[in-house]
Amino acid sequence: MTEKVGAIGSSIPRRGALDRLTGASMFSADFRLENPLALRAVRSPHSHARVLRIDTEEASRMPGVARIFTARDIPGKNLTGIINKDRPLLVEDKVRFVGDPVALVAAETEEAAERAAGAVNVLYEVLPAVYDPADALANEAPLIHEKGNLLFRRRVVRGDAASAFSSCAVVVEETYRTSFLEHCYLEPDAGAGWVDADGTLVIIASTQNPHYDHSEVAALLGVEDGRIRIIQAATGGGFGSKLDLNMQGFIGLALYHLQRPVRCVYSREETFIATSKRHALIMEMKTGAGKDGRLHAMKCRILCDTGAYGSYGIAVASRAAVHAGGPYEIEHVDTEVLCVYTNNPVAGAMRGFGTPQVAFAHESQMDLLAEKLGMDPFEIRRRNALRVGSVTATGQKLEASVGIGECLDAIKESYEKARSARSDRGDSPFTCRGVGIGAMWYGIGNTGMQNPSTAQVEIDLDGAVTLYTGCADIGQGSTTVLAQIAAGTLGLAPDEIRMIVADTKLTTNAGATSASRQTYISGNAVRDAAAKLVDVLLTEAVDLMKVPKNSLAVEGGFVVYKGDTDRRIAFSKLAARARRKGIPLRWQGYFDPVTSPLNPDTGHGEPYATYAYACHLAEVTVDITTGEVTVDRVVAAHDVGRAIHPEGVVGQICGGVAMGVGFALMEEFKPGVTASFKDYHIPTANDMPEVVPLIVESSEPTGPFGAKGVGEPALIPTAPAVLNALSDALGKRIYHLPANLERVLEAANKRG
Amino acid sequence: MRSDVRYVRPSSLGEAVGFLSDHGPETKPLAGGTDLLISIRSGELKARYVMDVNRIPELKGIAMTGEGLSIGAGTTIAEIASSETVKRLAPVLRKSCLSFGSPQVRNAATIGGNIANASPSADTFPPLIVHETIAVLSGPDGERRIPVEEAAAGPYKSNVGSRELIVRFILKPSEGRFFEFLKIGRRKTLAIARVSMAVLAEKDMRGAVGFIRFCLGSSTPVPCRIVEVEDFLTGKILNEAVVAEGGRLAAEKMIEISGRRSTTVYKEPAVKGLFNRLLYPMVKND
Amino acid sequence: MIEPLKTVPISFKVNGRPVSLEVGAGETALHAIRERLQLTGAKEGCGIGECGACTILVNAKAVNACLMLAAQMDGTSIRTVEGLAGGGSIHPLQKAFLDHHAVQCGFCTPGLLMSAAALLKEHPCPDRRTIADGLSGNLCRCTGYRQIFQAVEAVAQGEKEKTQ
Repeated sequence: MTEKVGAIGSSIPRRGALDRLTGASMFSADFRLENPLALRAVRSPHSHARVLRIDTEEASRMPGVARIFTARDIPGKNLTGIINKDRPLLVEDKVRFVGDPVALVAAETEEAAERAAGAVNVLYEVLPAVYDPADALANEAPLIHEKGNLLFRRRVVRGDAASAFSSCAVVVEETYRTSFLEHCYLEPDAGAGWVDADGTLVIIASTQNPHYDHSEVAALLGVEDGRIRIIQAATGGGFGSKLDLNMQGFIGLALYHLQRPVRCVYSREETFIATSKRHALIMEMKTGAGKDGRLHAMKCRILCDTGAYGSYGIAVASRAAVHAGGPYEIEHVDTEVLCVYTNNPVAGAMRGFGTPQVAFAHESQMDLLAEKLGMDPFEIRRRNALRVGSVTATGQKLEASVGIGECLDAIKESYEKARSARSDRGDSPFTCRGVGIGAMWYGIGNTGMQNPSTAQVEIDLDGAVTLYTGCADIGQGSTTVLAQIAAGTLGLAPDEIRMIVADTKLTTNAGATSASRQTYISGNAVRDAAAKLVDVLLTEAVDLMKVPKNSLAVEGGFVVYKGDTDRRIAFSKLAARARRKGIPLRWQGYFDPVTSPLNPDTGHGEPYATYAYACHLAEVTVDITTGEVTVDRVVAAHDVGRAIHPEGVVGQICGGVAMGVGFALMEEFKPGVTASFKDYHIPTANDMPEVVPLIVESSEPTGPFGAKGVGEPALIPTAPAVLNALSDALGKRIYHLPANLERVLEAANKRG
Repeated sequence: MRSDVRYVRPSSLGEAVGFLSDHGPETKPLAGGTDLLISIRSGELKARYVMDVNRIPELKGIAMTGEGLSIGAGTTIAEIASSETVKRLAPVLRKSCLSFGSPQVRNAATIGGNIANASPSADTFPPLIVHETIAVLSGPDGERRIPVEEAAAGPYKSNVGSRELIVRFILKPSEGRFFEFLKIGRRKTLAIARVSMAVLAEKDMRGAVGFIRFCLGSSTPVPCRIVEVEDFLTGKILNEAVVAEGGRLAAEKMIEISGRRSTTVYKEPAVKGLFNRLLYPMVKND
Repeated sequence: MIEPLKTVPISFKVNGRPVSLEVGAGETALHAIRERLQLTGAKEGCGIGECGACTILVNAKAVNACLMLAAQMDGTSIRTVEGLAGGGSIHPLQKAFLDHHAVQCGFCTPGLLMSAAALLKEHPCPDRRTIADGLSGNLCRCTGYRQIFQAVEAVAQGEKEKTQ
């Protein structure tokens, strides 16, 4: 198939950006509705308690209150969750974390809703709670869910790690810890809704997965699919948290009963209390290598605190297990991840699904091994880097597009310069400088499970093309990229593609905007749909031009004869011709990456069809008297297969670096303590290092135009690189994230 | 949003003080709003009246007067940061204002509000203290003058009476002296200071410390001048050992005042460390 | 106005246009702008002045509209992102943000634009550090700020070339 020059690999203006710049974009809280009711959840102040009685009588009589809902008002199945359904929309018998919703107030104004929410009288019997995942596994631990506190166990075993350690020249064994994190998308969760004339419940939402929302709301309400319509509003970031059902179910419930427009806008404080967090992990890791630095064995035990409900916990555990060794060949692997319920806030999906946490551990281990071997940290990574033909811990043979070596090579010069310059650049007796590398791999799409996307492409009789995709653009730019892929396939300019996006009435399911999957998976679905349409057009042209199909191409809205480009027929003419024959002008494309499920005992299988790779180099300055850290520079090399939109890739990388700096140095959600942006710090413009993004393109044969994904990879290597740089500066390693003022100063004072 | 407060906006100091003398205990003055609006949002504000003091001419302005450098309580942090007069006569205050909150907060927040709010980590407190500032208050009984360190009674507890307003601050100007303001935050902007310090100092003819004023912020219930440190350093030629001893004294004094807490594990070495950095330029110049 | 009021009549200019409103005594400027004037470009990201998504210009100075009472707008001149371009179709900063891919989710964008406009007014030729500092009151979780810095630099450069 021909490829339209300019559509692919060109940084065209982002779709929808102009509206964002003029204030015209409609985020969920911006919709003007006629006389909407405000919704406010009544949330539990206890982390574990039986709900004995919910008394809504007094609150119901307060001025402006339309109705107060409890679990009894839910007509369908009151259990939600994308992987395991364990979370009620409104709790029935007991609350499991501070923030668990017990009732929902609908009132004429926000103030009335807030007042009434405060007046709902809930009688609780407080139960013993457990906040530590290890404690939660003990026999006498309070049961959070009836099935037990162990949600999931994932083993990945290859070879015989136990005996391989004995033949290693060096072995390092350490325990690493990470904290709960808050996503901190700038737009707090919000949604709105109304009932259409035909009875359809229309829900506008800030979401990463409209089709999931759709099926979940339909099940909660016990209504047919056709009675629900989810439309994704302009969405102010998600990073995984907006994959859960947040306000959508509340809106659906209120619409169902009240048949009136409603609005549900979380305050920032409510997003802190109510929405999911990044899993806090405890990782015991033992890694052994030979004298030559080649890794022989790794043993890893991970405890994953998933909090009160499952959310994406199982996915996080699986992914952590698969990725625990890093982008390296290791013959003997013994990994076990336990995902455990506690009475902490729900931990769910957050950019990387456990991989950022394990990367901190495996990259620290690499530096520790290098140190023991007297080897350069760059060299030990280069020697062990996965390559085409390598076999992973799950027994998967990597067939193509393994760009970790190229990523390492891309930063090599910067690394060497930084290493040689770091000692003579100290301009103060109180600071020292360090250089560190972090590397990662990341499987694109869901782990060892079906993960399809669909898309539709339609041509009208004027030759205009419309792309229908259910893919939610949450700021990462998928709408633009999918337009480019459609345009590249159809020989059009991207701005010629009309788009209908993320509306469950008008578009088919593209799956979640998660797992860095939309470019690769939905991109392929779009390409498939567009290719089917191209084939129709070419077939018609063959009939008219009397030349073989392979001598024809699509270009600028025409089918052209490659031998003489003056011979061309307009799309509109071909479309009309096809229509007359009854040939469809709207085609559906579909893609599901080739994977195989992981064996429950060994973890063997092919969890992903392709992997992205990256490494970052970080240069830091540490004030050894106060523990203050400045990340001066990050050189970030990413193998994205093919950059469909290079500046979009750069934007992902720089945003990932920022989030990585936060993860490394300052971010920590303390349950019961952290309440707002006052006490949860994300990097400001002044905290940003100079970022040098380097795009590596190790083309993926199964990707659309060779593309993979970059959304999550962008984040993952930064924190490991910063922590290794800190260790380089201080001569002392930090094993617990974030490396905040206290931990850095403690390390500085302990150094030799 | 609270619907039960009432808004009042006097246009002169007389009107403001008049209102306060009748309703002071039920009134909260609104200056920059950067603290007050947060308490309105959280529902913590208990006042019946919010008195907007932003249109009172008597609270505005920066001028060198016979009494000293006068800064109106209603002067914004941004105005102080961009004042040539402050740059010349109180550069340490300017420095604290340059790193105060964020640009938006600096445009709204006032120096009077910062002091009246009495946060232990108020950024302008240590510089005002090392300038031996007098706060001029106005109330029903007329004017009252107090040393600025007495403006706070404890964390978020002001000594400014409910019927009083801070009108202005009078700083002892300090031109040509060594000055420094440093703070440690969890990030580089929009971070509450974990530890802050301000110093004014001058060497005498023989190169020893002839004059020094030192104040510690964010480490004690109220930012405080530490005369023990000043006395120790006065008359001494600064070298690394002397400065280190000064830092040790500062940390010791902090613990004496605040007691040992969970945060002391960090703050004790951090105070010592930051103190070294604070005075390092004076050591280095020798 | 020494009479305490539960609702406050105010008159001010928004994007050059005079308006008169009755606002609640405890109502924020952000609430009045979004809900009463339906100018929803300014966003509430935190409500406590930590994120800058609600940044507007009050008498040409950038402030957090969530930390300002609506009553305080009386007699002022307010500019929001909807009026950034003035009479023109698009402000140079908006164009530069578009050209430099400085928008991702776009929720922080209106606030950033207002801060950037205030910054360039005070420092027509800012260096990278001055730009970062001028935008440091606006959190962005998506972009890592780099393309935003580049956009602001491009506008400053363009202005410089115009005056040369």
